[in-house]
Amino acid sequence: MKLITNLICVFDVKNAAALILAVLLTACGGDDGEPGNPGEPGGPPATDISSLNVEVDEVIFTHGVATVNYSVNNQDDEPVVGIPSSTYIAAQLLPQGFTNAGNTSQWQYFTSESCTSSCTGELVDHKNGKYSYTFSAAFDGMNEMSYMPGATQRIVIKIGGDSLPDGTALPTTNQNFDWQDSGEVAYTRNLISMETCNTCHNDLAFHGSKYNEIETCVTCHSEGKVSSNDNIFPQMIHGKHLTGFPGSLADCQTCHVNDETLTENMNWARVPGMEACGSCHTDINFPAGEGHPAQVDNSNCVACHNPDWTMSVHDGGNDEALAQFNAQITAASLSGTTVTFSIKLSNPESGEVYTDSADKLNFISRLGVETNWGTSFDYSSNSAKRLTISSETPDSGADGIYTYQVTGLTIPTGSETDRGAIVIKGSICANGNQLADCEMETSTVLVLQASHQFFDTTNITATGRRVVVTNETCSTCHVLTQLKKHSGERNDAEAQCQLCHNNFKTADETAQNPQATSSDYKHLAHTLHAGMRSNYADIKYPGDIGNCAQCHIEDEDSVLTAALPLDSAVQPLMLNDGSFTSPTAAICSACHTSDSAKNHMTQQGAVFMGTEEDATSGTESCATCHGQGATADVLTVHPIK
Amino acid sequence: MKTHIMNTLAQHTIKMSLVAIAMTSVFSPAIADGYGLAQVNRTSLKLDKWQCKRCKISTDTQGSIGAGLAYNDGSDPRFGNTSGTDKDGLVGHLDADVTLKNESGYRTEITANKLGYDNGSATLTTGKPGQYEVAFGYRGIANYDTNRALTPYMVKRDAMLLPEDWQTGATTGQMVSLIDSVKQAELMTQRDSLTLDAHYKGDFYKAELDYQHQERSGQGAFSGNLLTNSAMLAQPIDDSIDNLGAKIYFNGDGWLAGINTMLSQYKNDHDALSWDSAFSPTFGAAYSGQSATAPDNKAYRIAGNAQFSDNGQQILMHTGFSRFTQEQTFLPATINGPSPDLPSANLDGQVDMIEMTIKYSGRITSELSLRASYDYKDRDNKTEIHDYPQVITDSYFSGTATNPEYDRTRQKAKLAAKYRFSRNVYLDVGYEYDHNNYSDLDRETLHESSLYGHLSYRPSHAWSFRFKAKAQDRSGSEYKPVSRTDSPSNPLLRKTYLADREHQEYKLSANYTGSALFSASASLHISQDDYTDTQIGLTDIDTSGYDISGQYRVNEDLSLNAFLNQDWRDSEQAGSSNFSTPNWYTTADEQSTVVGLGILYQNLLDKTLSLGVDYNYSDGQSDTQVSQGLTTPYGAYFSTSHNVNAFADYQMSESIALRFDWIFEQYQDADWSNQGMSVDSIPNVLIFGDLSHDYNAHYFGVTLSYSL
Repeated sequence: MKLITNLICVFDVKNAAALILAVLLTACGGDDGEPGNPGEPGGPPATDISSLNVEVDEVIFTHGVATVNYSVNNQDDEPVVGIPSSTYIAAQLLPQGFTNAGNTSQWQYFTSESCTSSCTGELVDHKNGKYSYTFSAAFDGMNEMSYMPGATQRIVIKIGGDSLPDGTALPTTNQNFDWQDSGEVAYTRNLISMETCNTCHNDLAFHGSKYNEIETCVTCHSEGKVSSNDNIFPQMIHGKHLTGFPGSLADCQTCHVNDETLTENMNWARVPGMEACGSCHTDINFPAGEGHPAQVDNSNCVACHNPDWTMSVHDGGNDEALAQFNAQITAASLSGTTVTFSIKLSNPESGEVYTDSADKLNFISRLGVETNWGTSFDYSSNSAKRLTISSETPDSGADGIYTYQVTGLTIPTGSETDRGAIVIKGSICANGNQLADCEMETSTVLVLQASHQFFDTTNITATGRRVVVTNETCSTCHVLTQLKKHSGERNDAEAQCQLCHNNFKTADETAQNPQATSSDYKHLAHTLHAGMRSNYADIKYPGDIGNCAQCHIEDEDSVLTAALPLDSAVQPLMLNDGSFTSPTAAICSACHTSDSAKNHMTQQGAVFMGTEEDATSGTESCATCHGQGATADVLTVHPIK
Repeated sequence: MKTHIMNTLAQHTIKMSLVAIAMTSVFSPAIADGYGLAQVNRTSLKLDKWQCKRCKISTDTQGSIGAGLAYNDGSDPRFGNTSGTDKDGLVGHLDADVTLKNESGYRTEITANKLGYDNGSATLTTGKPGQYEVAFGYRGIANYDTNRALTPYMVKRDAMLLPEDWQTGATTGQMVSLIDSVKQAELMTQRDSLTLDAHYKGDFYKAELDYQHQERSGQGAFSGNLLTNSAMLAQPIDDSIDNLGAKIYFNGDGWLAGINTMLSQYKNDHDALSWDSAFSPTFGAAYSGQSATAPDNKAYRIAGNAQFSDNGQQILMHTGFSRFTQEQTFLPATINGPSPDLPSANLDGQVDMIEMTIKYSGRITSELSLRASYDYKDRDNKTEIHDYPQVITDSYFSGTATNPEYDRTRQKAKLAAKYRFSRNVYLDVGYEYDHNNYSDLDRETLHESSLYGHLSYRPSHAWSFRFKAKAQDRSGSEYKPVSRTDSPSNPLLRKTYLADREHQEYKLSANYTGSALFSASASLHISQDDYTDTQIGLTDIDTSGYDISGQYRVNEDLSLNAFLNQDWRDSEQAGSSNFSTPNWYTTADEQSTVVGLGILYQNLLDKTLSLGVDYNYSDGQSDTQVSQGLTTPYGAYFSTSHNVNAFADYQMSESIALRFDWIFEQYQDADWSNQGMSVDSIPNVLIFGDLSHDYNAHYFGVTLSYSL
């Protein structure tokens, strides 16, 4: 079918009869009779477009054929006229329990129709930001699905990804509209929002970047549309996250967040079924009774797996019990090579201070401190000093505040007035939502969120080593207490890891990318997430690796901490053979590994595997062009969002 | 027969006037049977004058005995509910109605009705009517459901056993020997009660002793659950109830007082019901299940009544105390694996009930009378509260739970007035307040106010009209869903019996009794229940209906009667599939129709033949549909019956009569929950199969009776 352009509004009103005038006024909304004047919302067509706002006014259903009337505006509510291409997807939702007792609601796909130079159905561009699309035929029977009056229907409109005739680029936009042929939509299936996905992924888009909303995905990834049931959305999306997931898969609420604006946000716990559950519990064959007593359908699931049970085993942790314990370093100071510190253990819920010391509290599984010196030069020794206070009698103290000492720190000459960092980490025991004796069989061990304090020779200080990533930014993807290394206990990614993962961790000079062999924190973090380390080669970074702001925070001047020049505390990369690579080059070349990149860096003063003296002589001139505000600022050349 | 009735009436009238009979009916049943009598000016009555001069005390033996033989179609035992027996083929019964008397007034009565059938009865009463009497009685009541419940289980005392070669399956479809093993089981109950009643009436007192022993046998449906699997079982029923009651009442001038006591004991021959699991164990080794049956229990009650009347005013007081106890030994919490310890050997349950009533009624003026009453009832569960281990369907231990008390105190106050505007019109209005305190429920208090009135208008002797209206408003304390259960209910759910409710009902009726040959009545009624604060749960009920009936005596010999009744009840319910605001709705539309026609033709063939035929049609159905955008109707749920009951009574000679009975019933019912299903239709429930009925059945009986 040909694209039909609405020409009524360019009619010369002055020569028209009064009746036609009335019709035109209704159709075009203008009252000055000027040809082509767009109607509501009025104003000239948008020329500056950073986002598209698609609003569906109505779906008119005539003899089973749907016409969708919608408007497209830009970010300033100006009408967008002349959109060159669009796609329309139609699907139907069957309510929960409709297909059989216990079954979840499910989508049924009808059709996807597109308009470019020609249309599957019939598109009218009203030239005022309003559009009407009439599907090519009745939904009933399309894709062998029956249209059911009263069922919730969905139309997805996809526009953008191309440009207006004048060259203005249109961002890819998916907009869904749920409707029902008689009144309000009676039920929905809004389980997850795209924002949740995009906290870890950045701007997910699939199928040629056309589809970027979960509301779109589910319409096609549905039974009867995809050839394999493994590609039905719940099964597919669970399956895809089974490997390489940075948090606990058992915590359903990482993705199924408790968002009240999503009508079915608790569907994951309330409507258990073999399809969704079996997509993670892949060792179960429900009908055959393997790995689970035989179940031929979903009608029984909830009898045992009631919502409370499901939530209790899939919450990924025990926040209620953890909230009853806090370990706080109240004082710390360095004298000679000894750190003296005090710790207060309390229950923040009740305000109670535990009067016993850590070695006497039976619900403490393990509690330890780690400390290192030299925050202005990224620490002074290969490994931090440790003390396990859960098995240590305190040196002094009473009534909940106890004092301990860690001896034998490395204090380089001249750094006596520098600062240090001390971290407390460990785990506690709980039974249900109450703290419990670790000796009890029923107790489970819960990992604490570690925390740090900076200190000097007199007491704790507000600042210490620079903070460029925070636990919060790491937590957009990770559940820090569930990190696989170090029993999950060393989880203060903001300031703990750096105590040991410092510049004394050497790199393999023979490696193609030596930084990918160093466990110095910055190199470890960059190369690990980029999937460059041989022992973690299967890591697929879920977002855009060039988006430094996914992990890095802004400093007090609101400048992203990925900016150049580097902080003076950053040390060069130390290699096994005793050579060094200058600090900026070491960081940049961890990702920009090509010879041409390295040549460019060398030409601009970088030192690769040179002497320590050369590598620290300050010949790097990276900041001249790539510094903050410069022509090729790293903050602008990276796709930072 | 006629003289016999006259005699009895004559004797009664000596002691009790018709006015008194009418008055006693106002009082509560506990003091009925002659003791509600207000003994006004009794002394001045010339009782001798009331003696029926024409009545002669006959000393003959009177009445008839009979024996009957019938053919009964028992292929569907449900027909037995109509014919009185489920036996197929020839059945016999005895009937009797014999009175023996002597001149001193001593009288013995023997009756028998269909004795020999499951639904049969017999009585032997002897004594001096009005002074003392002893009565022995037997009554059988059978209730037949089906004989087509398909089950592979066999009953062995308290155990339901599967065939020895049974192969378990994870689902019913995987039970390979199921189809070959099922047999038809009958679901029916038979109650046989024996009664012994004695009463003695002195000058100023009356004493009464009643004893009843009732045995129940048969099989009923029971659901044996193990975790998510369930089997329907034909549970054997063998239990008995013994009731012993004693009353003594004293009466004087304008007063009456008495004590009423009762002892009751329930005994169940089955202490437990165990069953082999037809399913493969879901977890562990749960190969069989066990469930407690109704426990043995006892109750006693003692109550006192007093009543005073003077000058058209009465005060009635009643107080009672009842105690219910139950100390059946507990079964282990589970028979699958080690059973968690129970806190005691038995419940040692005790519930005490106290009730008090005071009622006043009095005529203030000749136009106005007032009624007032106050009721107090208190249920106090004195059972000790313990932590009991909870075992989910005999499978796994899931923590402890305490026994809730469910105490309740109910107070009701009523005030009503009746005003007679004229001989033809009166208005009766009343107000009632009902206040309840509960424990362990979602509401602590619940109170309801009712206002009602009825207007009676009798424009002529022939016509009377009545209009009744009632409005009720129920509310209570804050609704706080109980938190005892693992699965809390939706906070918007309001349980029907505790929810705020506005109720209205209206009834308009008309009666015509203007002719000796023809009488008729008609009424129309509607009601509405609106659960005003319920978002989830039952939200609305509307009922409406009408009744029409008429009798017409065409002549001395022929009379006709007919009635028609139709009722509708539409209810609405709302639910939420996502534990939030309502998003699905149910309507249940029920309707019933009953039609009856009867013809009686007497005095045929020189007054030796009577013919009668009754036809009844009844139909009930319920249509339920659930809608959540899409509307899903439930399946069929109905029952329809056509019933013809015809007889011919032929007096062959002075003393021999022959009676022919023909009963025909066409019956059909269906319930979507089992209609068209086989035993393995539901994967995790072993069901009885399709239990619907569809039959045409006849009963032909001939009874030969001999008049003494």
